[in-house]
Amino acid sequence: MDLYYIQGILMLAGINLMSVLGLSLLTGFTGMFSFGHAGFMAIGGYTSAMMTVNYGWPFIPALLMGALTAALMSALIGKLTLNLKGDYFCIATLGFGEAIRLVLDNVQYFGGARGWPGIPNYTNFTNVLIINIIAIIILANIIRSRHGRNMIAVREEELASQIVGINVFKYKLISLMISAAYAGVAGGLMAHYMTFLQPKMFSLVKSTELTIIVIFGGLGSISGSVLGALVLTSLPEILRSFSNWRLVIYGLSVIIIMISRPEGLMGGYELTPSSMKKLFTRMRSKKGDLPKGMEGGNTL
Amino acid sequence: MYKKTLALLLVSLMILTMAFTGCSKPETETAAPAEEIIKVGWMGSLTGDQAVWGQCELDTVKMLFEEINAKGGVLGKQLEVIGYDTKGDPQEAVNVAKRLTGQDKVVAILGPNASGNAIPIAPVLEQAKVPDIATVATNPKVTVLDGKVKPYNFRVCFIDPYQGAVAAGYAIEVLGFKKAAILYDVADDYSQGLTQFFEEFFVSKGGTIVAKEAFKFGDVDFRPQLSKIKDAAPEVLFLPIFFKEAALIANQARELGITVPLMGGDGLPSEQLFTMAKDAVQGTYIVNHVDYDDPEVQDLKNRYKTKYNKELELNGYLVHDAVVVFVDALERAGVADSVKITEALETTNVKGVTGQITISKETHNPEGKDAAIVKIEGDRYVFQQKYSAK
Amino acid sequence: MSRFLQQLINGLSIGSVYALMAVGYSLVYSIMNFSNFAHGGVIMLGAYFGYYYLTKLGLPFFVAFMASALTTGILAVVIERGAYKPLRERKAPFLYFIISAMGASIFLENIVIATIGPTFKSYPEILSRTPIQLGSVTLGRIDLTMFIISAICLALLVFFIDFTKMGKAIQATSYSVKASALMGINTDLVIIVVFALGGFFAGIAGVLFGMKYTVYPQIGIITNKSFIAAVFGGLGSLPGAVVGSILLGIIETMTSGYLSSNYRDLIAFALLIAVLVIRPSGLMGKVTEDKA
Repeated sequence: MDLYYIQGILMLAGINLMSVLGLSLLTGFTGMFSFGHAGFMAIGGYTSAMMTVNYGWPFIPALLMGALTAALMSALIGKLTLNLKGDYFCIATLGFGEAIRLVLDNVQYFGGARGWPGIPNYTNFTNVLIINIIAIIILANIIRSRHGRNMIAVREEELASQIVGINVFKYKLISLMISAAYAGVAGGLMAHYMTFLQPKMFSLVKSTELTIIVIFGGLGSISGSVLGALVLTSLPEILRSFSNWRLVIYGLSVIIIMISRPEGLMGGYELTPSSMKKLFTRMRSKKGDLPKGMEGGNTL
Repeated sequence: MYKKTLALLLVSLMILTMAFTGCSKPETETAAPAEEIIKVGWMGSLTGDQAVWGQCELDTVKMLFEEINAKGGVLGKQLEVIGYDTKGDPQEAVNVAKRLTGQDKVVAILGPNASGNAIPIAPVLEQAKVPDIATVATNPKVTVLDGKVKPYNFRVCFIDPYQGAVAAGYAIEVLGFKKAAILYDVADDYSQGLTQFFEEFFVSKGGTIVAKEAFKFGDVDFRPQLSKIKDAAPEVLFLPIFFKEAALIANQARELGITVPLMGGDGLPSEQLFTMAKDAVQGTYIVNHVDYDDPEVQDLKNRYKTKYNKELELNGYLVHDAVVVFVDALERAGVADSVKITEALETTNVKGVTGQITISKETHNPEGKDAAIVKIEGDRYVFQQKYSAK
Repeated sequence: MSRFLQQLINGLSIGSVYALMAVGYSLVYSIMNFSNFAHGGVIMLGAYFGYYYLTKLGLPFFVAFMASALTTGILAVVIERGAYKPLRERKAPFLYFIISAMGASIFLENIVIATIGPTFKSYPEILSRTPIQLGSVTLGRIDLTMFIISAICLALLVFFIDFTKMGKAIQATSYSVKASALMGINTDLVIIVVFALGGFFAGIAGVLFGMKYTVYPQIGIITNKSFIAAVFGGLGSLPGAVVGSILLGIIETMTSGYLSSNYRDLIAFALLIAVLVIRPSGLMGKVTEDKA
């Protein structure tokens, strides 16, 4: 088994995971659906590539610059669209995602539609792993904090949250900006892994893939997103021997997952030591009833 | 503390998955001992717009390898081709290159046919030190970037500066057209390159480009651009693009009442042109790599037709020569080692079906290949003449 | 002036393609309140069915045409039963429908690639490609036919919705599924009819598309544009879908003709964003307030 090849797949999974983590915050915890996150990846990717290639910046600052630009862009978009009703917000993100891609198609400075080859190959297995771990820790902290609880409140019942005094717009915006920043880092990692950028790498298809991963892993679960990213990124590669049929299987699996288990793999639960303990306790206890307060594993 | 445990757990999960994916890939267990087989990679479009070309290339390689193996193989070993689909997508091409070099450990890669896919794989090739012989990738940047030759990229076809000049020269000097219109694809390296070189040469010989319109790959409706072109009244319409769009454009041009002849480069010749736009493309001039009626290529054509019951596409001829070049380099290298093969490739001088192939050490391109101008009459490409640009 | 007229005709030509596709979107949206992204796949299959009925079965044009539309109608209902009904039953949020729809669209596109293959198929020449000259403006015969067929189909659809009992049931269900069910309308049947109609139109759109251009598995992607047109005209409104499509076609063509074709798609999406920000219900859509 070739380590180099597996590392490649894991790196891709890690890159997807960055975006998925961000999207998980937006969709899973704040309840907003986006079909344009590939656009933020694109912004992050092109910005960080510009920093490394044209200005000779080192890798990490370039990634951060990409994240910052993506977050700022999302703030702009958010101002315009966060007041829209559920499905219209969705369509608006789709519109913006595609618009970003189309603008990049026309910017010759970045190679336009033909793409930008020759980006330095800074991404490697170690830094993808470390960046992901840091990202997960940050995300877990946000969710456990007061801010995270406010976001979940917005997801559950927007009107009630507003009445209770939560500034709904502000939390939606923060959620969007953080998710965009994560996507921006992912884009930067992608650029320096492929050593090549082309706007059509960030199309609606990519945005859809990301959302599918979040749903597959289970909304409201970080570990679900991790598992989802790993499984759904490696799946097409593993299925490569079936060549043409692999996407047929992929499409069919998506439908089946939606029909049979829409709550996703983890179903909103997290994989933590305490929840695993509870799971084992419940499995061991005969009638399966636990004293009050020990049910489930919801990490709130 | 709590979050650290969470993070640790997730990390161990990732490592577990790594081991898991490690165990579930049966196709990589090589049954035969590795020394008996020489693995050669192939990449190209098996799906997507250029699928018909990709499929033809892969089929030709398989046929040729069977023939070679039947005669005892090379260096006493059997050749095996491992082919993957790039879907015509540069990102996928990079993935495939990584897989071929990292996972399948091929000693060389044949293809891709599209410049847009051949250009981005260079860093992968350099890291793995595996050479690639592109078949019909004609953009100069495939082998030379910013004046420096890429050590592991080679090709067997002529390049776009040459091709553009041939097209322009033939149009203006032989056919006498002084006003040309161009309709090209902004999303494609090949199209952009060919446009640039055609324009330069055409204008330098005294012609004028009366209209230069663009579309983006994926478009199917070209009426707005064609209406503008019609208003500019050109004498010839140059289409430095691939056959799918060319067929659609030809149909729509005729529907709009544009009657001037069309002209194109090596992206055009395909049997699909006839299925999609037979009437509209009559009288089209094409700069091609080979004369299909040349007696020297008939044998290959017939072998392919007998085996697959289809006509041999342009790519078949070029991948044949890529195989010839590869086998020759392999024999001179004496060992199935990718670095030695690369060295041998730099001094290639063999005869293929598309002409004598002498690889230049400075550019990794074949030198002095003639273009064959063909014209579409009926459902055939009729050879006009060999033309070199001056 | 004649240049403007020619571009206008070009715009109408592509607009009518969008219109037929957008109508299917709007129909489904009006009842189910979600965007059926699988519609593109159904249109693509319509093109293929038409091709096969014409070439392999050698049916006369009109019969093949009707047969494709009927086949896609049935296909659309099958998709509804398989991919959407289970979600409806568990009252899933609309996002899940969209994901399921996207899964269906990936599935359809790739099953065609895997079975039939990715090479392009061409319709036999039913209508001559020589254009009709109106002064200095050229009009393609296929365009004219498409225009006429679209107009007839849309007129029939409007008649159906406004003047038949089932049509009124559809209108009622689009306002409120629950209330209609309480009134005794068989909402399940209504949904089947709506999808069948949507599929029928998709089939027509597919065949006409195949005739005008060519047949290939990725036809579904073009329908993203018709989706924009439907939003522009107002999701849920059929006349809106038509008006939006024609306008979008003309705007796109004018952009390509007078500015540059590079900006064509960008303008389309900019339009989408503008509509959503300024007036989300589109030109002619219902303005519904979110009930607290």
